Amino acid sequence: MVNTVTSGRRARRPGAARRPSVTSPSRGYRVFQGVNGVVLTLVVLVTLYPFVNIIARSFSGERQIRSGEVTLWPKGFNLTTYEIVVSDPMFWRNYGNTVLYTAVSTAVAMVLTTCYAYVLSKKNLKGRGALVGIAVFTMFFTGGLIPHYVLVTSLGLKNSVWAIALPNAISVFNLLVMKAFFESLPTELEEAAQIDGLSTYGILLRIVLPLSKAVVATMVLFYSVSFWNSWFSAFLYMDRTELMPVTVYLRNLLAGATGGTGAGAATEQLTQVSANIQAVTIVLTSLPILCLYPFVQRYFVSGVMLGAVKG
Amino acid sequence: MNHNGRLSRRQILAAAGFIGLAGLTACGSGDDGDGGKDLSKKRNGAMKDYRVGDQFKATEPLSFTLLHNDNPVYPMKDDWLFWKELTRRTGVTLEATPVPLSDYEKKRSLLIGAGDAPLLIPKTYPGAETAFVSSGAVLPVSEYAHLMPHFQAKVKKWRLQPEVDSLRQSDGRYYLLPGLHEKVKAGYSLALRTDVLERHGLSLPTTWDEVYQVFKALKEEYPDRYPFSDRWSTNTPFPVGALFQYLGQAYGVRAGWSYLNTSWDAEAEKFVFTGATDAYRQVVEYLHKLVAEKLMDPESFTQTDDEAVKKLLAQKSFAISANPQELVQNYRYNLGKQVEGATVEMIPVPLGPAGPVVLGGSRLENGMMISSKALDGDDFVALMQFVDWLWYSDAGQEFCKWGVENVTHTRSGPGAYELKPGISLMGSDPGAPKDLQKDFGFFNGVFTYGGSWALVSSSFGPDEKEFQDAMAGREQLPVDPPHPLRAEEQERATLWDTPLKDHVTQNTLRFALGKRPLSEWDDYLAELRAKNMDQFIDLHNQAHERFRKENG
Repeated sequence: MVNTVTSGRRARRPGAARRPSVTSPSRGYRVFQGVNGVVLTLVVLVTLYPFVNIIARSFSGERQIRSGEVTLWPKGFNLTTYEIVVSDPMFWRNYGNTVLYTAVSTAVAMVLTTCYAYVLSKKNLKGRGALVGIAVFTMFFTGGLIPHYVLVTSLGLKNSVWAIALPNAISVFNLLVMKAFFESLPTELEEAAQIDGLSTYGILLRIVLPLSKAVVATMVLFYSVSFWNSWFSAFLYMDRTELMPVTVYLRNLLAGATGGTGAGAATEQLTQVSANIQAVTIVLTSLPILCLYPFVQRYFVSGVMLGAVKG
Repeated sequence: MNHNGRLSRRQILAAAGFIGLAGLTACGSGDDGDGGKDLSKKRNGAMKDYRVGDQFKATEPLSFTLLHNDNPVYPMKDDWLFWKELTRRTGVTLEATPVPLSDYEKKRSLLIGAGDAPLLIPKTYPGAETAFVSSGAVLPVSEYAHLMPHFQAKVKKWRLQPEVDSLRQSDGRYYLLPGLHEKVKAGYSLALRTDVLERHGLSLPTTWDEVYQVFKALKEEYPDRYPFSDRWSTNTPFPVGALFQYLGQAYGVRAGWSYLNTSWDAEAEKFVFTGATDAYRQVVEYLHKLVAEKLMDPESFTQTDDEAVKKLLAQKSFAISANPQELVQNYRYNLGKQVEGATVEMIPVPLGPAGPVVLGGSRLENGMMISSKALDGDDFVALMQFVDWLWYSDAGQEFCKWGVENVTHTRSGPGAYELKPGISLMGSDPGAPKDLQKDFGFFNGVFTYGGSWALVSSSFGPDEKEFQDAMAGREQLPVDPPHPLRAEEQERATLWDTPLKDHVTQNTLRFALGKRPLSEWDDYLAELRAKNMDQFIDLHNQAHERFRKENG
């Protein structure tokens, strides 16, 4: 959900930025802008509608949802499902796990990715090609699920946050974007800092990083959204329900609520509120990420652009 | 990025990767162990003289690991009475690893593949075990069935040997301990608006011809509506899978959800291709008639379940496929709120040319694989006895389903159980403070399935009881004889199987919807032949012949 919204915004910005302000716009251009406005408004509505609808459903009565009356506004206002979900201690436990896993994993990922990318951005580094190659190699080849599992298990990472944080610590795509950004920084700045007596780490921490807020914020967002939404590693490496993130909780809840055909009588009670429970859990899980978004969005747009137009 | 001159280094990298991979796979195929049938050293904790009717009690405390399918309706809790009482009665502690139900199969394959699986792997459906046989990770339980008196007694008493034999793999052994049913439990049938039928002087149909007559009469009364709009078309491999299943049954053919490319022709004593049989064509013709005369909503084949139910609730249709739970908790419940005086009933599956029959093979439920690591333990015999008691003895099954007498339930006769006041089961008592599944851990799908008809029917609601009683008298069609393929044959068969099945599914729908005239049936058969139908069937017939020769 979050991702669709971002890509919509990303796509629109360049057009808006190129608006000519010096000469008065020609008639054709004004028509173009009008059409553009209408089309983009429609796109916004189309992307927003499912979300608004989900929110409306989450507050609606079961009968109204079943008969398809709910569109933009809740009908038959009802909070029962919220009460049920919120009163399940396991939901909060797993929610806490998600926050913890996201925070730890993002922190680890940021440190490692920044260090790796900064090193790779140094053109005079010997063996730079090999280092890039190692990273890029993993984009095309993986050991496969079972070797991966055996590795993580034999390292003793199972049932700990490290099973999630370490294997996913470096996303090669993010790494390359960051590397491109660092390469675009003027080398003169670093040379000047060196002359003034800063060590390599000093340069990274006191010169480069403060200048890289945009790309750092972008990467934090990329990483945190992907860790927040991810469920598979946790599902693989966690053996106890109380260690699962909320995404696994949600997935299981949905499977129990919708897999009615084979599962038999036991799930029928839940089927009653299935539509509503989906909506409620979606709202509850995507809320924090949505709240985070406006604060980093400023950096986000410029960060991605900076990485992209380098050259 | 600069690509020049990097090629050699990349090749080195790639080569290194492949060597690493090869090393890993080599590690995977470890030693097979001596196995052997000498169990005298594996009797730790086992009972000396364990027979039918005995309560299993380990002679010393034991603990076994178990993969637990975690159902969100009753999430696993460590303080369930089930665990405590189980340990008290059997001396065995189960160490359960909960796996979310949503992805149970995925994790199961992974754990077995990685050699990290718990000893007991329940909730495995017949056929799912085949994938693990060649790796040797799963125990050939047929070799150790003699340790399981209750299992053997039930197979014998309920004449389940042909069903169990159908589980045999190409080496003649079976690797799954299936859930056993005394009688076939029918699931789906047609539900009709009885008040509407009554209003127009129509009676409930008992045969498919009568179904057609009733729909026709309804169409005359309501020319602007479709009498029948069906569901179970989305998120299923076969659209209107439920209808095809119970309609096919009336013609003695596996269709819809139960469709298999192979069918056993008892007269010719060989396998034939299901989608090419005459009976299958009759099923398709019947549905085509309903659609062509506008008695059945053509959207039935594509719409979601919700849309189909909405049509029923809005009185745009008067019939829909049902199972007992959907009937009571969805159709009747919602109709009661929306349409005054509406009544809806599920009828016993209408009869067709095949007479009062039910499809064979459906008396096996999901069951259990046992990790071959179990054989290495010195408590192997006790493990098999424990499994036998908990999953196959009457006492064990009753305990799993209803719990402890006078604590969770009272029993007034065979199959007559009543929950203690204050305990609810699937909403039976909405105000009750406790729930048999959630708070006590009984009636748990991991442990509770199959059993005697008295036990199975003990949890039926009144509607389901009536329906099941009507269905229970029907005769079961013979089970397919075993025809296990060898590994390399299995590969070929799989390559042919899916395209054939897809072609059958697609054309079934096109014929039924009238998009392809039924006069082209022979062309359709030719297309199936072009997709290697004959070779596919030959393969299965050869496998059957071979099995018969090798295993008598």
